Parts: sequence; structure tokens; C-alpha cells
Amino acid sequence: MKFDWPYFWESLLSPSPQFLNGLALTVIISVVAMALALLLGLVIALMGRSRFLPFQLFASLYIWVIRGTPLLVQLVIIYTGFAAANIFRFEDTDVLGSLIKGAVQAAIIGLMLNESAYISEIVRSGLESVDRGQNEAALSLGMTPMHSMRKIIVPQAIRIMVPPLGNSFNGLMKSTSILSIIGVSEMFQVGSTMSAATFKVFEIYIVVALYYLLLTTVWTFIQTAIENTLNVRAGLPRAEPVFKRLFGIRSRKQATPAPALALQPADAA
Amino acid sequence: MTTQHAASTSASTPPSDPHDNIVQAVDVCKSFGDKRILSDVNLTVARGEVVVMVGPSGAGKTTMLRTINRLESIDSGEIRVNGELIGQRVNKHGKVVERSARDLARQRADIGFVFQHFNLFPHMSVLENISLAAVEVRHQPKSKVNEYARELLARVGLSDKADARTRSLSGGQQQRVAIARALAMRPALMLFDEPTSALDPEMVGEVLTVMKDLAEAGMTMIVVSHEMGFTREVADRVVVMDAGTIIESGAPDQVFSNPRHDRTRQFLSKVL
Repeated sequence: MKFDWPYFWESLLSPSPQFLNGLALTVIISVVAMALALLLGLVIALMGRSRFLPFQLFASLYIWVIRGTPLLVQLVIIYTGFAAANIFRFEDTDVLGSLIKGAVQAAIIGLMLNESAYISEIVRSGLESVDRGQNEAALSLGMTPMHSMRKIIVPQAIRIMVPPLGNSFNGLMKSTSILSIIGVSEMFQVGSTMSAATFKVFEIYIVVALYYLLLTTVWTFIQTAIENTLNVRAGLPRAEPVFKRLFGIRSRKQATPAPALALQPADAA
Repeated sequence: MTTQHAASTSASTPPSDPHDNIVQAVDVCKSFGDKRILSDVNLTVARGEVVVMVGPSGAGKTTMLRTINRLESIDSGEIRVNGELIGQRVNKHGKVVERSARDLARQRADIGFVFQHFNLFPHMSVLENISLAAVEVRHQPKSKVNEYARELLARVGLSDKADARTRSLSGGQQQRVAIARALAMRPALMLFDEPTSALDPEMVGEVLTVMKDLAEAGMTMIVVSHEMGFTREVADRVVVMDAGTIIESGAPDQVFSNPRHDRTRQFLSKVL
């Protein structure tokens, strides 16, 4: 076969408006789904930590079911299955002047539900990683448990949660490619349509792959910046530089201590 | 409670007027699972008194101390601080029930607690550590609180560390900040849980000096400690615990030189 370089460069450097729309939709769905998943994940995590047994049971059941079934199956059940069974049908709706397609709503809901189960586990382990003495110190100073959670536990737990949450978001952006199965015209779907029309299958999917790579790489930069900001605020050394993160180049001499360890009071003694 | 009785006839006895007793613990029992940690502990501490609790590890000293600000709940008995049941209240049917979280927080605000591992907040500067609770809990104006925080830092000899990160301090410095943090709430009572046990030997002295100054300034203190020199010098009363009970209580000179109990004698022979 012959690789059509001119077509490849053109698709890569001046993509069609449809492709750019697909790219935008990928980003929007990822960001909205992630934001909602963070909220829901926090709620599930707090339910899991609650002393109220039904909450605890609900949280473990939810995490068990969502993590134990594939995202693809969940999406199809939510969008196609529910409609077929006449349980719920996602209709196109007008939100703030723009028409949101039913499939896009289903995609956001599906990704949110799926991601929230993983996020709740990240939140739970983040909260648990803060030394128990921190909470006791706050309580001994006359803070209520809620107050201590807000001022002492969460600010420390966030630093521990950001790296796994960032990885989660990275995965979420890539998972949007399966939304094509329910007919969301995100980047992958647009790519498939283009390849069907032009038969430049290889060229187009390489371009699609490069754009996903661009998205995740940009995100890696943003995530590193967030981690650095948090570390500086906490008086810790900066996170690994982006290059190390992307290409895995490691020097043994400059190992940065894991944040969880740095929080132990004993090692400061 | 013969030992208790014996203590109340000795020279450094707390006055019998119950209103002068800042802490009054009666028949306190506590188990973790089926392991008995405290059995029928009675402890009375008068305002201004410095009480040091000693005894072999596992005797229940730390647990007892933690029940006084309800970091540890109790199974039976009662503990009053300033005349109020701590963490509990009597409802209108005459039953003892848990206090609300807010109410317990209000009670704890008057009781300073110093931990073995300092537990400073690593995401804040030294000054923020000290002023946090006065601002957040007592809602005092920040400028006034910071002023007092600096005063306290000077008192513990760390004036130059106000803006430092807690992580950059030595263990002894961290513990002095922790003491200042507790004092910022102007507590009526200070509890110290083995405050020098996690320190390198050369840093023990600086912390004990701060505690000694505090005692001389008239602070009511209950200290769990293995520092016998400090105890002899600063304590008004020594309480010896063993296997979850108070086996002996009295002035340091009397307990150290003429212990009544065999187990006290055994314990002292190992640490003195």
C-alpha cells in the first residue's frame, strides 16, 4: 500500500470542521462527565464512610456493580436498553440555547456513573491516607468532625488524590472513543465516517490517534502544574517534571518522596 | 479505693471542695474488645495542680489521659471536667447520653492536648498552626490572634520560626510549637501524652523546660511521662498506674523514696 502523505498532513494540520467539532465534543463530554463524576464520587465515598448501614451497603453495592461491568455494556443499557424497555428515553433537549443530543446526555451520564465508582475509591483511600493524629489534633483544639474534615483532612487528602484522579481523567478522555457505539459524533466517530468516505483508513486513524495523544499530553502538563501548585503550597518538593512523566526517564538520585510518606509526622522527627 | 484514700491524706492533697477540682474521674472502666484497659480508675485533679502519671507501658496511662478530653470514650463511670460531664450529658429522663459533636467540641476547646507525635498540620505555617483554632473555633479577630500566637512563640523560644514550615523544624521545635498551639486556646487544663518520647535525647530538655515554665505559671497539667527527673522536680503529685488501675498516688518524694506498693517499687527500680 501507499501511505498518502499529503492527505495525512492535510488532515493533521488543517482538519475539517466536522473533525474539529468531534474533537470539541470529546473534550466537552470528558470535562463535564469528570466534573459530575467528582461530585458523585465524593458522595459515594462519604456514604461508604458513613456510620449509617444502608448508606454503606449502597456504596459497596454501587462500586461492585459499576466496576464489575464494562463501560460499553453500561452505555448501551442506559441509552438503548432503557429506551427499548420504555423505562427512560434520552430526548434531545435545549440547554442554555444549544441543542444537546440525547446520545450526548446518555454518554455524559454513563461516563459519570462509571467514573464515579473509581473516583469514590480514590477519594476514600485519599481520606484514609491522612494520619489519624491530624484529626485528633483538630478535635482536641475544639473543632467539630465536619470542621476538621474541611480544614485539616481534605486539604491534605487532595494532594494525595490528584495524581490518581488525573490518571482517571486521562483514561476517561480515551474512553470517549467508545461513545461512537451509541452514535455520539465525537472525534472517533467523525474519523470512522471520514475513513468510510475516503478509504484512507490508515491515514485517518493515525491522525485520530495523534489527536488523542495531543489531548492526553496537554492534560499531563495541566496535571503536573496542579500537582506542583499543591506541593508548593504544602511546602513539598516539586512533582516529577513532565518529560520524566511522559517518557519514563528516571534518575535514581533524584527520587522525590511519595506524598503519603511525607505526611507521616514521625519522619519529620 | 484505699490507695485513693491514702492519697487524699497526704501533704499535696487536692482540696476536698469539689468545685476546685477541675478533673473528677469516678470508677472509669474501658475495654478494647475483651481486653480490659482501665478498671475503676478514680482520679481527681485540683485547679493549678501538676499531676504526672507514670507506670509500665500498657498500664493504661495514655488511655486514661485521652478519656479526659473524650478522644477515647468510656464504658462506665463518669468523668467531669470543670464540673461538666465530658462528652456526655444527662437527658431529661435522667439517662446519661452522648453530647452533640458541637457541644463536645466546645468542651474540648478548653482542654489543651499535646501528642507524642506532635500532630502539627503540615499544610500550614507555624503561625497558622497556632492561630487556626482561635480564629476558626473561637472566632477571634485574626490580627489579635496572630499577635498572641507570636507572644506564645516567643514564650517557647521560637520567635524566628513563625513563617517556617512545620516539616523544616526539629522534633523538639515541633513539640514546642504543638504546646504553643494548645495554649493559643487559653485552656484551663493541659494534657500531655508522653510529650518527649518521640524525641532525640538532646531535644528532650528544651521541651521539658517549656513545660516547667508552664507549671510555674500556674497551669493545671496532667502529664504522662517517663521523665523521672522532670517528675520529681515539677510534679505536685505522682500517680502510678499498673494494669489499668491507679496503684499509688502521692508527692513525688514520698512515692519515689518510700513507695507503698511492691509493683511501684519494681517499676521504679527499672526507671530510676
